[in-house]
Amino acid sequence: MDINQIERELQTLGETAIAALEAAADLRELDEWRVEYLGKKSRLTGISREMGQLPPDERPVLGERVNALRGHLTTAFENRARQLQQEALARRLGAERIDITMPGRPHPLGAVHPITRVIEEIEDVFLGMGFQIAEGPEVETDEYNFERLNLPKDHPARDMQDTFYLTDTLLMRTHTSPMQVRTMERMRPHAPVKVIVPGRVYRRDEDDATHSHAFTQIEGLVVDRGIRMSDLKGVLEQFAKAVFGPDQAVRLRPSYFPFTEPSAEVDIRCVHCGGAGCRVCKQTGWIEILGAGMVHPFVLDLAGYDSRVFSGFAFGMGPERIAMLKYGIDDIRLLYQNDLRLLQQFTRVVG
Amino acid sequence: MKVSYQWLCEVVDIRDVAPEALAARLTSAGLAVDAVEPRVQGIRGVVVGEVVACAQHPNADRLKVCEVRVSEAEAPLTIVCGAPNVAAGQRVPVATVGAMLPGGPIGRARLRGVESCGMLCSAAEIGLETRLLPKEQTEGLYILPADAPIGADVVAYLHLDDVVLDIDLTPNRSDCLSIRGLAYEIAALYGREVRLAAPSLAASGQPSPVTVRLETDGCPRYDARVLEGLNDGPSPIWMQMRLLAMGVRPIGCIVDVTNYVMLEWGQPLHAFDLDQVHDRTIVVRQAEEGEELVTLDGIPRRLSADTIVIADPDRAIGIAGVMGGANSEIRSGTRRVILESAVFHAASVRRTGQRLGLRSEAQQRFEKGVDPVAVRAALDRAASLYTELAGGMLVGDAVSVRRGAPVDAEGEQIVEFDPLRCRGLLGADVADEQILQVFDALGFTTDRSSAVWRVTVPTRRPDITREADLVEEVARMVGYDQIPSTLPQGATTAGVLTRAQQMQRVTRHTLVGCGMMEVFTYAFTHPSQLDALRIAEDDPLRRTIPLARPMSDDRTVLRTHLLPSLAQVAAYNLAHGNPGAGVFEIARVYVPNGLPLTEQPEERVQWAGLWFGQVPQRVGERARPYDFFDAKGVIEAWLEALGCRGQAEFQRTEKPWYHPGRSAEVVVDGRSVGTFGQLHPQTAEHLDVPANTLYAEFGLEKIAALSHPTLRVNPLPRFPMSLRDLAVVVRSTVAVADLVHAAKAAADRIEPGVLESCQLFDVYRGAGIPEGKVSLAFSFVYRAADRTLTDAEVTNLEHAVLDAWKDAFQAELRQ
Ligand SMILES: [Zn+2]
Repeated sequence: MDINQIERELQTLGETAIAALEAAADLRELDEWRVEYLGKKSRLTGISREMGQLPPDERPVLGERVNALRGHLTTAFENRARQLQQEALARRLGAERIDITMPGRPHPLGAVHPITRVIEEIEDVFLGMGFQIAEGPEVETDEYNFERLNLPKDHPARDMQDTFYLTDTLLMRTHTSPMQVRTMERMRPHAPVKVIVPGRVYRRDEDDATHSHAFTQIEGLVVDRGIRMSDLKGVLEQFAKAVFGPDQAVRLRPSYFPFTEPSAEVDIRCVHCGGAGCRVCKQTGWIEILGAGMVHPFVLDLAGYDSRVFSGFAFGMGPERIAMLKYGIDDIRLLYQNDLRLLQQFTRVVG
Repeated sequence: MKVSYQWLCEVVDIRDVAPEALAARLTSAGLAVDAVEPRVQGIRGVVVGEVVACAQHPNADRLKVCEVRVSEAEAPLTIVCGAPNVAAGQRVPVATVGAMLPGGPIGRARLRGVESCGMLCSAAEIGLETRLLPKEQTEGLYILPADAPIGADVVAYLHLDDVVLDIDLTPNRSDCLSIRGLAYEIAALYGREVRLAAPSLAASGQPSPVTVRLETDGCPRYDARVLEGLNDGPSPIWMQMRLLAMGVRPIGCIVDVTNYVMLEWGQPLHAFDLDQVHDRTIVVRQAEEGEELVTLDGIPRRLSADTIVIADPDRAIGIAGVMGGANSEIRSGTRRVILESAVFHAASVRRTGQRLGLRSEAQQRFEKGVDPVAVRAALDRAASLYTELAGGMLVGDAVSVRRGAPVDAEGEQIVEFDPLRCRGLLGADVADEQILQVFDALGFTTDRSSAVWRVTVPTRRPDITREADLVEEVARMVGYDQIPSTLPQGATTAGVLTRAQQMQRVTRHTLVGCGMMEVFTYAFTHPSQLDALRIAEDDPLRRTIPLARPMSDDRTVLRTHLLPSLAQVAAYNLAHGNPGAGVFEIARVYVPNGLPLTEQPEERVQWAGLWFGQVPQRVGERARPYDFFDAKGVIEAWLEALGCRGQAEFQRTEKPWYHPGRSAEVVVDGRSVGTFGQLHPQTAEHLDVPANTLYAEFGLEKIAALSHPTLRVNPLPRFPMSLRDLAVVVRSTVAVADLVHAAKAAADRIEPGVLESCQLFDVYRGAGIPEGKVSLAFSFVYRAADRTLTDAEVTNLEHAVLDAWKDAFQAELRQ
C-alpha cells in the first residue's frame, strides 16, 4: 500500500461522493447514497480497515485524513437531507393548498328582535344606575290604568289614549304607567323606589307608518325623599348618552300628563344631523323621544307615599321609536312584519 | 287649534314679534305650535272690481265679455270670464295684468278673438278656505260685498295676509281655546297688556221677557238675553274672514256672532229663535230616557236620562253644550232671539257627545270647563255685536239664574305655595322675586305675608288647583332649560334581574345562539284561528277574551295560543322568497278565569318556536327541510342552558295540533314544561304552512320553578376512561332512550355510576338488516372514580349491558 495512492483515492472519493450527493433527488436516493459512501460496505470504511497495513508512523496521518473526509461527507449529507426534507414539505404544502375564498362552514346566527334588543339595551343602562325591572299585567283595570293616575272617568285627557276595553272596568293597558301605582303599592313604605317597567301596551290607533295598535313602552319611576326635577334631567341625560352616544344632550319642554306635574316632553339631539337641523328634526336639531315629569302628588298620596314627604319622577319611552331612530327604520309596521330579510340584519350584535 | 295672528295682535300688541318667533316661544312654554302658515301665499295685484257690463262672447257660448271697473278714475277693463254666475253690478276680485296668483302670473290674453285684460277670480283662485264656504260661494266667481271699495287690494281687504298658528293644546289648557286665553298667556310671556274688556251694557231696569228654570244640577248657571229687530243677512266680511282663518264656517250674522264670541272669549253661546220657544220659557233639565230631538244637522237623536237638555215647557229645543235643536234653529226670517250663555256639567256634556258621536266646538270647551267670569262677558259682547252689526235691539235686561255652588268670580282658587318646596322640587335656584314676577305676569295675586304664600288664581285658569301646578307655571315661564342636571342623592341601590327576567333573557339568547330569529307578533287574533289546532269546541283554549270594540274583523280577541301568530310569520316569509328559518317569540297568552270576564285574566309567559321551510344550505350538502331533530336539538340546548337537560324526559304527547308519531312532551322532574313536534298535516294545511313545519311551546314560569339557581362544578376525573363501541340490531319500535336507560341500569348494578355516558352515534337500515329492524351503534364511556378500570372489568360491564339488551329488547349484536 502506498499512502500517496490512498490519499489520491480519498481525494477522488470525496469529489465523487459530493457530486453524487448533489445528484440525489429524494430521500430514498439520499439513503442509498449514505449506504454507498458512509455505510459499512462503503469504500471509506474499507480504507479505514486497510489502514492497518500501513506503517505505524503513517497511520495517524492517514487516519486524520479519513476522519476529516467522513466528517465532511456526514455534514454534507445532513445538510442535503435537511434540504430535501424541506423541499418535500414544501411540495406537500403546495399540494395541500385550498381555495381560501370558498365560504366557511356556516354557524347559523340567530338574532334578537330589534324591539327587544332596544329594550334589553335600555334595561342594562338602568340596571347599571341601580333600577329594578318590573313587569305588570297587560289586562288592566280602569282604576289602575286611569283613575289612580289622576284620570277620572269622563276626563278629557282620556282622549289622549283611545282605549281597547274588554268590559266596563277591564281594558288593555294604554301605557305602562299603571305599574307606577302597582310598584309603589308593593314597595311602600320603603324608599327609594327605582324601577323601570318594559311591556306591551295597546291603543285604538289605526296602524300606519308611525302608529300601531300594539306597541311597547318602558316606564321609569323614582320615588324618594328629595327627588328633584333636575334629577330627572340628569338621569335621562345618562340614558341618552348610553343609548345614543356620549355627545348626547337632553332638552325638556313643558307638556301635560295627568299623572305628572310639572310635565315635560324630552328631546335628544337629532341622531341624523347631530343637532345642525335637518328634515327629520324639522330643522330644530332636536327630536322628541319620551314624556316625563314629577310624579303628581295625587298619584303619590293615593299610592301611599305622602307627597309632603316624598317626591318622584316618572318617564315613559317607546322602544319602537328608539329602534327606528337608532337603526334608521322609517315605518313602525316593519317592526311587526317579521320579514326575515329585515330581522337577519340584526345578526350583527354590535351597533 | 288654528289661531289668527292678526286677531291676537289686536288683543295683545305683539306686532313686533314675528309669527315664527311667537310660535317658538309658545312651544317652549308648553303650547306646542305645530305649524305657522300664511293664510294665503303668492297673491299680488288682485283688486276689488265692479262688473259694470256683462255681454255674451261673440264666438263662445260659455264665455262672457265683461267691462270691469277697478279704479274710480280709469276706464273699465275688458275681461273675458267663463264663470256662470257673473253678472253686472257685482263686486268681484280682479287679477289685473301683471297680478300674481298661486297658479301663476296673469298676462294679457286673447280668448276666442277677444282680448282679456285680466281675470275675475273664484274663491279657490284667491286661496280662500273653500271647504268652509257655502257651496254657492265656491262655484263660479267669489262675489264680494256690495260695499267693497273699488280698487282696494283684495289681500288686505280679505285679510289674506294673516298668518295662522296651529296650536296643539294639551287637554289641561282649555283656557287657551280662545283668543282671550292665548292673549293672557302671550301677555305673560312678553310682559304686555291684554286689551280685551268685558263690554258694559247699560241696564234698562226692564225685566227680561224670558223665564229660565234650572231643574238639574247639571246646569249651575244660565244667563240669557233677548234681542229683537235682527236682520238675517251675512256677517261683515272681516268677521267671516276671522272665522275662516280659525277654521269655522260662516253661516249668517246671527250664528256667526255666537261663534265669533266663542272664539274670542272661550264661552260657547247659543241663539234660539224666540218665536219658536213656547211660553218664552227656557227649562234646563235632564232628558227623559229615550226622548227624541232632531238636532241642527237634521239628525233625529234618542237621548238618555244622563243628557242635559234645554227645553221649553213642551219639548226639548237643544242638547245642552253639544248642539241646538232644529225646532228652534235660527233661519232666514228669524228676527228675535234668545241668546244663551251658560255653564254645564263637564263630564255630562262629554258623555253625551261621546254617546251621540258628536264633537262640536262648544262641547270641546264645556267638557274641559269654562271660565265663569266669561259667561256674562261673552253674553254682553255678543249682544253688543248684534246691536252693532245686525240691527238688534235689547229687550229687557239679562236674566241670570244659578243653582248650587256659586259659579262666578268668587270661584277663584287660593293655592298655598311654598317657594322653598318649589326650589326643592325643581332642583333649580329660582329666586323669590323671580317667582313673584311669574305670578304677576300670569295675573295671579300673591300674598307673601307668611313663609307659605297664598296665590289667588283667576277663574280662567281652572287647571291650577295645587302647589305642584304653580311649580309648573314657575318652571314653564322661567324656562325648563334653567333646570340643571343632577343625579338622585338618596341611598344607592343595586339593579339586578329577577329570576323570571333572567330566565327570559337566557331563553332568548340561547335560542338566538341556536340560530333562531326572534319575532314580535300581535296579541289580538280571531277565534277562528284556533280551528287549525284541531281542538274540540269546548277546549279551554277556545275561551278567548273578546275586545269590546275591535278595530278590525281579524283581530277581535286576545290570543290563547301562539301557533297561529308564528304560522303567519312563516307563511308571509315563504311567500316572500325566504327559504325557511327557525323563529321564536317570547310572549303572553291570556287565560280567563271565567267568561264573561269579571277579573284580570292570567297572563302566561311562553316561548314558542316554529321551524319552517328549508334548513340553511351548506356547501356540498343537499338542501333539506327542517325535521323533528332540528327542533329537538334546539330544545335540548335550551334545557342545557337552564341546567335542566339531565332531568328532562321526552314522552309522547296527544296534543291534537301535532303529528302523533312525531311530537313530544318535555317532562322535567316529573312535571310537563312544554311540547314540540311536527305539525299535524291538517293543522299545517289549515295554517297555510308546509307539512314539515315544526312547532314548540314552553311555559317560562313552569321551567323557572324547576331550574336550579346555582351551578357547582364536578371535580375533574382522576382516572382514565375506557371507550367501547357497541352496535346492535333491534326492532324499529325500540326507543333509544329505553336502551340507554337499560344500559345504565345494567352497569349500575355492577358499580353505580361506572357508565359515564352512552351515546348513539349511528343509525343504519338497509342491506344486511332485516325488514322492521334497525342497527343502532352506541359509544360507551366507562370510568371508575377510584381506579383505572382493567380490560376485564370493562369487558364484564359490556357483557352485562348486552345481556340486559338481549333480555329486554331481543337485541342482537351486530357483527
Ligand atoms: Zn336633524
